Amino acid sequence: MGEVMELNRGGPVPRDSDATDRVLFVRTSDMEIVNWDRSRIVEALVRETFLDRDTAERVAEAVDQMIHRSRIQVLTAPLIRELVDAKLIEMGLESARRMHTRLGMPLYDVEELLVAPNRENANVPHGPEATNLTLAENIKKEYALLAVFSQEVADAHMRGDLHLHDLGFIDRPYCSGQSLEYLKRFGLNLPNSLANARPAKHPEVLLAHMVKFSAALQSNFAGAIGWDAVNLFFAPYLEGLPDRDVEQLAQMLIFEYSQQAVARGGQAIFSDINLYWEVPKHFQDVPAIGPGGEYTGKTYGDYEKEAQRFLWKLFDVYAEGDASGRPFFFPKPLVHITEKFFQTEGHERFLHRICEVAAEKGNTYFVFDRGDTAKISECCRLAFKLEKSDLEDAKQPWRMRYSALQNVTLNLPRIAYRAGGDDTRLFQQLTERMELAAQAHLQKKAFIERLLSQGERGPLSLLTMNRDGQPYLRMHRVSYLLGMVGLNEMVKIHTGQELHGSEEAFRFGLKVIAHMKLTADKLARKHGMHFVLEQTPAESTAYRFAKLDLKYYSPAAGSAVRGDVARGEVYYTNSTQLHVGSPTNPVDRVRLEGLFHPLIEAGAITHLWLGEERPHPESLARFVMKIFRNTHNDQVAFSPEFTTCVACARTSRGLSETCPHCGSDEVEGITRITGYFTKISSWNKGKIGELHDRQRTAGYFSGAPSAGAGAAEA
Amino acid sequence: MTLFTKVGCGKCEYVKERVDLAALGVAVEELGPENPDALAHLAWHGLVNVAESNLPILVLEDSSYLTGAVQIRKYLEGLGGQAA
Repeated sequence: MGEVMELNRGGPVPRDSDATDRVLFVRTSDMEIVNWDRSRIVEALVRETFLDRDTAERVAEAVDQMIHRSRIQVLTAPLIRELVDAKLIEMGLESARRMHTRLGMPLYDVEELLVAPNRENANVPHGPEATNLTLAENIKKEYALLAVFSQEVADAHMRGDLHLHDLGFIDRPYCSGQSLEYLKRFGLNLPNSLANARPAKHPEVLLAHMVKFSAALQSNFAGAIGWDAVNLFFAPYLEGLPDRDVEQLAQMLIFEYSQQAVARGGQAIFSDINLYWEVPKHFQDVPAIGPGGEYTGKTYGDYEKEAQRFLWKLFDVYAEGDASGRPFFFPKPLVHITEKFFQTEGHERFLHRICEVAAEKGNTYFVFDRGDTAKISECCRLAFKLEKSDLEDAKQPWRMRYSALQNVTLNLPRIAYRAGGDDTRLFQQLTERMELAAQAHLQKKAFIERLLSQGERGPLSLLTMNRDGQPYLRMHRVSYLLGMVGLNEMVKIHTGQELHGSEEAFRFGLKVIAHMKLTADKLARKHGMHFVLEQTPAESTAYRFAKLDLKYYSPAAGSAVRGDVARGEVYYTNSTQLHVGSPTNPVDRVRLEGLFHPLIEAGAITHLWLGEERPHPESLARFVMKIFRNTHNDQVAFSPEFTTCVACARTSRGLSETCPHCGSDEVEGITRITGYFTKISSWNKGKIGELHDRQRTAGYFSGAPSAGAGAAEA
Repeated sequence: MTLFTKVGCGKCEYVKERVDLAALGVAVEELGPENPDALAHLAWHGLVNVAESNLPILVLEDSSYLTGAVQIRKYLEGLGGQAA
């Protein structure tokens, strides 16, 4: 690039330098020493901005004089650029200054980053690869806010009116859900790959393809990588295999995903496997693909028993946990509960088993697909609801791949501060924020389409690969997520009561989300894009919004934010959920939170915090059945807490300061953060505040159903 | 009681034309893009998914509900709500 990098006085003097430059030399980014030459500033201004050459020369001359007058001993490239930018501002050339901005990080911040852990995302360990990731993310964030989004959108993000998620991954879509059938049919045949593989002939090879493709997808998406009906699509490869081999495959699958973070040094693959005890109706009559990508002559309906065998083995592995007895963090097992589930032989025993795993390790996610609903779930709660055309695609399941392009979350409490108790103002502002969020989506879409337009030679080549007549990323089927944080606090600020405080407060909360849904529908019609609501997981957003509101909306915010203000452990309640500390029993929590779920198409969940409680599996099983039958809740997860000992490598129930086995204080707490298990030591302060406030189920599920546990009363 | 309807729903019109809803004290909530109150009310009764394919819906005093235009008409007529 030849950018001016550093300018020193003294040192070696190039022979052809003039009198002024005789004492100056410049180190360039090409790693050579050249004469100080102000025309480099002119060239940069003309190249990077819309300035004409005369103006650029005036700027360069002024900067040249400033440098020489200053007698500065050592000049760095960022400083030169800052001087140029200061001069541009002085001359009223704001637009040029913006275009001439240098992106990067202060020395102090880089040092902090290299030696202190990143706590924005508990899924990123600390290490050289992880700090590479963070450094790159920081530059891409700045780029996004300057060059991808309009100033109005960027400023709204910076102020905390809304949050643009994954700005550090601006050049990727958000999440993706797909089918193993793609790999089974086309093999692992990726653009830029040094070696292409034909469709797998053996189950362990299929697994290797799946894991490698997940890693490839992770480098092209910002968030979760989900897989549909994994046990069913593996089934044709498992016929005739002894149980021991199936067990081994299950173990390999879970360990391969769990250990990717250690192996790669960066972020773990946020992976989800959708699982079915029954054969879903839309796959029942679909011709099955087996080893070598060949049709087996059977339909998936014929593989129910093999699929169940594999599923059972997967849960055996989850039940055991890792070598220290800890729960596996990834891949998350999402078990779909459907009408057909209850009509499928053996479901009682299987339900008992997955409830046992939920009680012991907390892994099981229960996904409720009522009526004709079918979906692929992933991330902390994201769901792609299958439409009629998708169910048609199910006849060729490799076509079933879905993505959310971006997530934009609204700071709901802030709208309430600004509305001052006035309904009209509150709903008007809500609409305006959603329109701004839609603009953010339009801008990201335009940027991604620009990258995609370069095809298989561009940066998103993986997403443009065309193996089945359409690009891997099917833009026509992409969702644009509109999230929310702090409905509970918004309602409290506006009505004086929290969601659980009164029917009036709760119904006002429903009206807010109904308004959001209708506005999303309108925006979808207006722009021809699939705008849908999602319960934002808000791992760092709930913290960020609370901090910013304390800064800009105190004293009102002082009584609205949650957590410990003095310790800085502040947060807002996630999405539409009741406050984590509300004294609401699990039955009411699941029922009440579930009333919001049908309005939130792209995913909603209820978390029940078990704490130390070790529920009776039968009690959980009855509870799960009643959730399906008697509520509208979309997903439920039960979250126990663990202490794992670094010294003796044993894991115990509950959060303790010392290991109950060996007494060591070298312990790590583990529980679920927003949707996944992780070590508490990696959590941000807001989530630590939330952890202190969580209302545990405290014995609610501990008794057997016959003993009258309340679990049966959903 | 509340009758949930929407614009352009023939079955909803069928009930409204044949039953004197006002006389029976039946509130009508018309679902539509400009009516979050109606959608919120529907959600409160847990009927958002039902409404996707089953309008009109009559929610009774005990929060149970009826669907099907003919069934709703008959039920309301049984309460003496036949239109003049």
